[in-house]
Amino acid sequence: MSHESPLDRRGFLSRGLQQGAAGLGCMSLAALLEKDARGEQRGVLQTLHHPPRAKRVVQLFMAGAASHIDLWDHKPMLEKHHGEPSDFGEHVEAFQNGLGPWMRSPFQFAPHGQCGKMLSDVVSPLGECVDDMAFVHNMVGKTGVHSQATYLQATGFQRPGFPGMGAWVSYALGAINEDLPTFVVLPDHRGYASNGPKNWGSAFLPASSQGTPIFPQRDNPIEDLLPRAGFVNERSERDALKLLARFNHKYSQQHPGDSRLEARVRSYELAARMQLSAPEALDISGEPRHVLKMYGLDRLGAVYPETINAAEEAEYFGLKCLMARRLLERGVRFVQIWSGNDNSFPRRNWDSHEDIERDHGPLARGMAVGAAALLKDLKQAGLLEDTIVHWTTEFGRMPSTQGSKGRDHNPYVFTNWLAGGGIRGGVTHGLSDPWGYKPLDRDHPTQVYDIHATMLHLLGIDHTRLTYLHDGIDRRLTDVHGHLLQAIV
Amino acid sequence: MATLLATGLAAKASAAGDLFRDQVAPILQRRCLSCHNETDRRGDLSLTTGVDLREGGYIDADRSDDSHLLEVITPVDGAAKMPKDADPLTAEQIQAVRRWLAAGAPWPDDVKLTASEVKEFDGWSYQPIRHPTPPALADPWIRNPIDAFILDTLRQQRLSPAPPADRRALIRRLSFDLIGLPPSPDDVRRFVADSSPDAYEQLVDRLLESPQYGERWARHWLDVVKYADTCGYDKDKLRPNAWPYRDYVIRSLNEDKPYARFVQEQIAGDVLFPGEPDGILGLGFIAAGPWDFIGHVEVPESKLDGKVARNLDRDDMVCNVVNTFCSVTIQCARCHNHKFDPITQQHYYALQNIFAAVDRADRVYDLDPAVSNQRQQLTETLRERRSQLEKVEAEVRQAGGERLAGLNMRIAELSKQVKVRKAPEFGYHSQTSADPAIAKWAAIELAGADEPAVALQKIVLRPCHDEFGGIGAGFGFPLRFRMETSTDGQQWEVVADETQRDFPNPGLTPYEIALPAGTAVRQIRVTATRLAPRQGVHIFALAELQALTANGENAAVGAKVTSLDSIEAPVRWRRSNLTDGKWAEGADAEVSRELAALESQRRELLAAIETPERMERRRELQEAIAAAERQLAGLPAGRLVYAAATRFDPQGNFKPTLGKLRPIHVLRRGKIEQPGDPAHVGVLPLSEDASWQLDEQLDEGQRRAALARWLTDPEHPLVWRSIVNRVWQHHFGEGIVATPNDFGRMGAKPSHPELLDWLANEFRQHQSLKTLHRQIVTSSVYRQSTAFDPDKAALDAGNRYLWRMNRRRLEAEEVRDAMLLVSGALNPFQGGPGFYLFMLEKTAHSPHYEYHKFDPADPASHRRSIYRFIVRSQPDPWMTTLDCADSSQSTPKRNETLTALQALSLLNNRFNLEMARRFAARLRENVGEQPSPAAMVRRAVDLSLQREPTNDELEALTTYAEQHGMENLCRLVLNFSEFLYLE
Repeated sequence: MSHESPLDRRGFLSRGLQQGAAGLGCMSLAALLEKDARGEQRGVLQTLHHPPRAKRVVQLFMAGAASHIDLWDHKPMLEKHHGEPSDFGEHVEAFQNGLGPWMRSPFQFAPHGQCGKMLSDVVSPLGECVDDMAFVHNMVGKTGVHSQATYLQATGFQRPGFPGMGAWVSYALGAINEDLPTFVVLPDHRGYASNGPKNWGSAFLPASSQGTPIFPQRDNPIEDLLPRAGFVNERSERDALKLLARFNHKYSQQHPGDSRLEARVRSYELAARMQLSAPEALDISGEPRHVLKMYGLDRLGAVYPETINAAEEAEYFGLKCLMARRLLERGVRFVQIWSGNDNSFPRRNWDSHEDIERDHGPLARGMAVGAAALLKDLKQAGLLEDTIVHWTTEFGRMPSTQGSKGRDHNPYVFTNWLAGGGIRGGVTHGLSDPWGYKPLDRDHPTQVYDIHATMLHLLGIDHTRLTYLHDGIDRRLTDVHGHLLQAIV
Repeated sequence: MATLLATGLAAKASAAGDLFRDQVAPILQRRCLSCHNETDRRGDLSLTTGVDLREGGYIDADRSDDSHLLEVITPVDGAAKMPKDADPLTAEQIQAVRRWLAAGAPWPDDVKLTASEVKEFDGWSYQPIRHPTPPALADPWIRNPIDAFILDTLRQQRLSPAPPADRRALIRRLSFDLIGLPPSPDDVRRFVADSSPDAYEQLVDRLLESPQYGERWARHWLDVVKYADTCGYDKDKLRPNAWPYRDYVIRSLNEDKPYARFVQEQIAGDVLFPGEPDGILGLGFIAAGPWDFIGHVEVPESKLDGKVARNLDRDDMVCNVVNTFCSVTIQCARCHNHKFDPITQQHYYALQNIFAAVDRADRVYDLDPAVSNQRQQLTETLRERRSQLEKVEAEVRQAGGERLAGLNMRIAELSKQVKVRKAPEFGYHSQTSADPAIAKWAAIELAGADEPAVALQKIVLRPCHDEFGGIGAGFGFPLRFRMETSTDGQQWEVVADETQRDFPNPGLTPYEIALPAGTAVRQIRVTATRLAPRQGVHIFALAELQALTANGENAAVGAKVTSLDSIEAPVRWRRSNLTDGKWAEGADAEVSRELAALESQRRELLAAIETPERMERRRELQEAIAAAERQLAGLPAGRLVYAAATRFDPQGNFKPTLGKLRPIHVLRRGKIEQPGDPAHVGVLPLSEDASWQLDEQLDEGQRRAALARWLTDPEHPLVWRSIVNRVWQHHFGEGIVATPNDFGRMGAKPSHPELLDWLANEFRQHQSLKTLHRQIVTSSVYRQSTAFDPDKAALDAGNRYLWRMNRRRLEAEEVRDAMLLVSGALNPFQGGPGFYLFMLEKTAHSPHYEYHKFDPADPASHRRSIYRFIVRSQPDPWMTTLDCADSSQSTPKRNETLTALQALSLLNNRFNLEMARRFAARLRENVGEQPSPAAMVRRAVDLSLQREPTNDELEALTTYAEQHGMENLCRLVLNFSEFLYLE
C-alpha cells in the first residue's frame, strides 16, 4: 500500500458529503440567511437544578453483552480454579445453560496507571487513561434477554416505549449549537443492535429530542441533509429558499397569533445552516496523521480478511470515536456510539457464547484503541473536564464456560466505567464477588438508575425533578429509583 | 387520598399518640409497608402492629431514641439503607420518627396498618353518566345541542364564537378530518358554488360514506392500540398476518358497526360470535402490541426470563384493554397499588388472570361461517381421536413394562449422543402435501437404454437429517413405501414393500435391501405411499440412494434423478443431492450400532405385546385421524390473522396453552420471583360496592366474554365517555378531557362535563360513530373560522372553550397521502398486505429494514399510508420526523413538533423529490399541448391549495418555474405552510 492511500480513503469518506454539498455550492445558503448569533437553545429546564460539572455526554454501548471478567474485572480465583467444575453455591439460571467448568480469561491482566488498575491485555490501550476513569463492578441487570436488557440500559425501562437517555438529556438541556443535531447516534454500520432505533427514540418526548443517526461509512451519512436530485442546483435552491421564506412568512402574517407559523419559517433557516455545519463536522480530511493513527485510522482503505480482526474493528470503532470528538467540540450535546450489530452470524458483536478469545479479542482491542484515543484527545483539547464518557453494555458474562471457550449471559453482575465531566478518576466503586458471578455485597448493588442519576447530577439535573407527564404518569429516566454514586463524583 | 385504616380510634390520645397517627403511621404506611407487612415480613420485620414492630427487634425498649430503626432510615452521604432502592425519607419525616421514638414509640393497639390503597370513587369519571338537558339559549348561532353547551360556557367565560369559516376552508377541513385527503379543486368549486341550504350536510354525508373514511379513522384507532406489522424487541421479526386486523378496523368503521359490537369482537369475538370471521379478526386487537420473540421462543416458560416475558406480555394485553376502552392508566398497579386511582394490585392481577391462557399467534379464520363450523368440528374430532390414540399408546407402554421404558430411555439417551456429521447438501425433498396418503416417487437412472444394465447386489436408502420442526434424524423418511427396479423404465419389479404398516423412523440408520446375485438394473424407483409428517404438512425426503455392486462400488453416484415433484432449494435440497454421495451420519459408529440394535429390540418387543384388538383400534383411530386430516385439508384454505390465540403451531419454547390457564399470582413489587397470593379473576371495580370478581371456574374464553360484556354495559361510566372524547379530540385537536388515555385523578378534568355526558349518553343509545361525527361536524362550533382575537386570547389563550377553531398541521400520513394525491401518483387500491418503504434483507435471523436503499419511485409504494408495513423497532424515519405515532406505546394524541430536521425531510427526502417529479409530469400532461409556465403554476396552486394564485404569487412562481423548471417549482409548493396547515 502506498503511503498516499490513507488520504485517498479520507477523501472517499468525505466525498459523499462534499459532492452533495458541491451540488448546492456549499456556501451561499448561509449568505442569504440573516446572520444569527450561535446562541444556546434552551431545553425545558430554564434553570439547572444545581451548578453542572459537565455539559456533554458520549456514551459507548457494547451490544450483545461484553464480558466484565475478560476486560476490566480481574479474577485471580478463576485462574486458580480454571477447569474445575463450577459451583455457584445456589441454583443458577443461565440463558443457554452455560454452566460448564470455571474458565479463566484467555487474556492476561496487568496493572496500569498510578492507581494500578488491573486491565486485560485486550483493553490495555486504555491503560494510559485509567487514572481518569471510575469503574463500577457491581452493576446488576434484571434480565438475561438481550432486547429487554438493552432497553433497560439505554432507556431505564426494560420494555419498549421509553425515551433513550440522550433524548432525556436533549429534552432537558436543549442544543449547545443549533446548527447541529442535539443528540447524535453512530450505530454499528453492520447493523443495529437489539431494538434498533428504539434505543435512542424520543418515545413520548417531543420528536426533536430523538437521536439523529449518522453513518459515516455511507454515501449519504445523514439522510435528507442534501437533495439528491439532478434538477436541484445551487441557484434553484437559493431562489427556492428565498421564495419559501417569503410566502411562508406571508402566510404567518396573514394568520397572526400562531407562533408555529413563524417558527416554521425559522426551521428552514436552521436547516440551511445544518447543511453547512454537518458535512464540515464529519470531514476528517484535515485531521493530522498522528491523530488518525491514534484512532486506529492509519490503514484506511486496507482490505481486511473475512475473519474478525483487531485492525478492522479499530478502524470501525475509531472512526466513530473521531467523529464523536469532532461533533462534541462543535457543540453536539450527546453522542452515542454502538459497537456490535444484531445477533447474526458470523458474530460481529459481544455475545460470545462460542468463543471469548476469537470474538472479544478483536472487538475489545478495537474498542479500546478508539476509546483511549477519544479520552486522550478530549483531554488534550480541554473537553474532558466537562464531557462525561460512559462505557456500558447489556449485562456481563458468566465465569463458567459455555461449550469449551464461550461464556453465557450474566445479568447478575457486570461493569460500567465513566470518565470526565466531574467523574473522579482512578477509583473503583462496588466490587463483584471473587468469581465475578454476583456483587460482593448482594444487598447493595449498583443499577442503571444510579448511573443515570449520577450522570444527570453531573449535568446539573436532579433526576427526580426531570419529569414528563405521559398518560397520567410523571415519567422519569430513573423511574422511581436512582441514587447518586457519591464515590465516583 | 391514602387513607389510614384505623377503626375505632380512641377518642382521647396522648400527644405522642397523635404524632403517631398523624405523622408517623402515614410515613410507615407509605414508605415501609409494601415490604414490611404481614405477608412479606422482609428482614423479619412487619410494621402491621406495634407488637410486630417490637418483635422485629428494631426498637430498643429502653433507649428507643437510639433504635436500629432510626439508624437504617438516616441517610449517610445522601443514601439510607431504608427504604431500600428508593429516596430516603425527608429530614422532617425522620425528625417525626425520632420524636416519636423518643416518646417511647407509642402505638395504640387499635391501629393496624395495611398497604395504602385509594378507595374513593368520587372522581368525575366514576360517576354515572348523566342525561343533561342542553342549556335553553335562544341564539341563531345554535344549530344543535353541542352548540348550546359550548355557547353557554363561552358566555360564562365572557367569550363569544368566531365568525364561520369560508367555504374553501370548510371543505378542506372536513375532507382532511373525515377522509384524510384534500378535496379536488372541482369539489371545492362545486361546494363554493352550491347554494342549496343543505350543501354542507350533503358534503358531510358524502365524505362519511366514502370508503376513505375508514382509512382515515382506522389510523387513529391503530395509534391507540399499538398496531404494527413486526413484533418489536430483539430481532423485530415480521408479523405477516397482522394486516387482516388493520383491514377489519377499516371495514368496521366504514360499515359503522355498533361500537359495543366493535368492542366485544376485539375482546372475545370468537366466543360471543362463533363462526363469524369478524369474531376472530377483531382479536387482532389483543395481539396488536409488541411481543418478545426471544423471551417466548428461545427461553422456556420454566425459566425466570421466560416467566418475565409472559408476565410483560399479559401486562401489554391488560393495559391495551384498560387504556383503550376505559381511559384508565393501570400499568402502575403491576408493582404496587395505584397511588391515585382506586386500583389495587389484586385488581390488576385479576385482569391478568383473564388472559392467563392467551398468547399471540397466527390464527385461522374463515370467511364462510359454514366452513368455520366444519373446521371447528373436525379440529375437535382430531383432538379426540388423537387423545384416544395416545391412550392406546399408553396401554402399549404399560404392557411393555419396565423393559420397554428402559429401552425408550436408553434410545433417547443414545439419540442425544449421536452427533450428526452432515454436508450442507441434505438431499432430495418432495413438495409438501396436506394429505399424507398422496403417493410421491423419486427415481434414478443408472444406465441409458443403449448402455448395459448394471449388476447390483444391494440398494441402500440413507435418511436425511434436518433440525427443521425439531425433527432431526430420519427427516422426511416415508412412513410407508416400496422400492422397485426396472431395466426399461416400463416394467417395474418390486424389491422392497413397506406399504402395509408404518415404518418406524429409522433415525440415521440406512435402509438396506439385498438383491438376488447379479440383478441387472437400469432404473431404481422409491415410491412413498404414506408421507412423513413435518409441522402440519407431509413430505418425502431422502439423503441418498446408493446402488452397490458386488465389489461394493456405488454405481449411483452422479446418476440422473427424476421425481414426481421436488423442492429445489439448493444447496440443501435438490434432486441431484440424492446421488451426490453425501448423507448425514452419526459420528460415533459404536453408538449408532447400539442404537440400531436397541431400536430393533424395541420393534420386536412391540410386535410381541401387540394384541389384535388393540391393533384394530389403532388402525381405526389412525384411519379416522387421516380422514379428518383429509377433510380439513379439503376445506377452502382458511386465512390467517395474527390474533389472541390458545391453539397454534408451536415454535421452539413457544407452545400453545390449549386453553389451560397459567397460574397467576399477585407479584410483590411486580417481581416474578416474589409471587404472593393467587390472583382472583376480575374486572375493575367501578364503585365501592361494585362486585368486580368473576367466577374462577370460568374457562379462558368465558373470562374474556365476561370482560367484553362488562366493557359494553350501558351503565359503564368510562367506556362511552372514553370513545366520544377520542372522536371529539380528533375533530378539534383537543379532547373535552385533554388526557384521552387517563380519566383518573392525575388526568385532566373535562372542560365541558355536561357536553361530554350528553354526547356519551346519546352515543350509548345510538352506538354509531358516524352519527357522532355528524353531530359534531354540523355544529356551529366546528364551522368556526380559526380567526385570532387578542382580547379573547387574553382570556383563554389555549382555546379551551373553543371561541375559534384550532388550526392544525397535517399528520404524517396526511402529508404523505396529500403529496401522493396532488402529484397524481396515488394508487387507491384498498386493503391487503402492507407495502414496504424499505428494502428487506437478512430475514432469516434479524431482519434488516433498509430505508435508505428503497426506491421511492416504486409504484407499489404509492398507496395510502394506512397500508404501510409498519416496522415497530425501526419505524420509517421520515414519518417519525413528522411525529407519526410510535407503535411501541399507546398514542392517543400525537405530538406536533417543528424542527430543522423536518424542514430537511420535506425538502430533501427522496420521496419528496420523487413527488415533485411526478407532480411536474402531471402538470405538463394536464395543461395540454402547449403548456405555458403560468398555466402550469395556476394548476399547481389549484391542485395543492385548491385556490387561484394571487397576482404576486403567480408572477414570482412563474418566474421561478421559467428559470428552474417545474420540478423545482413543485418541490417548493409542497413545502408551503399553507399546504401543510389546515384552517
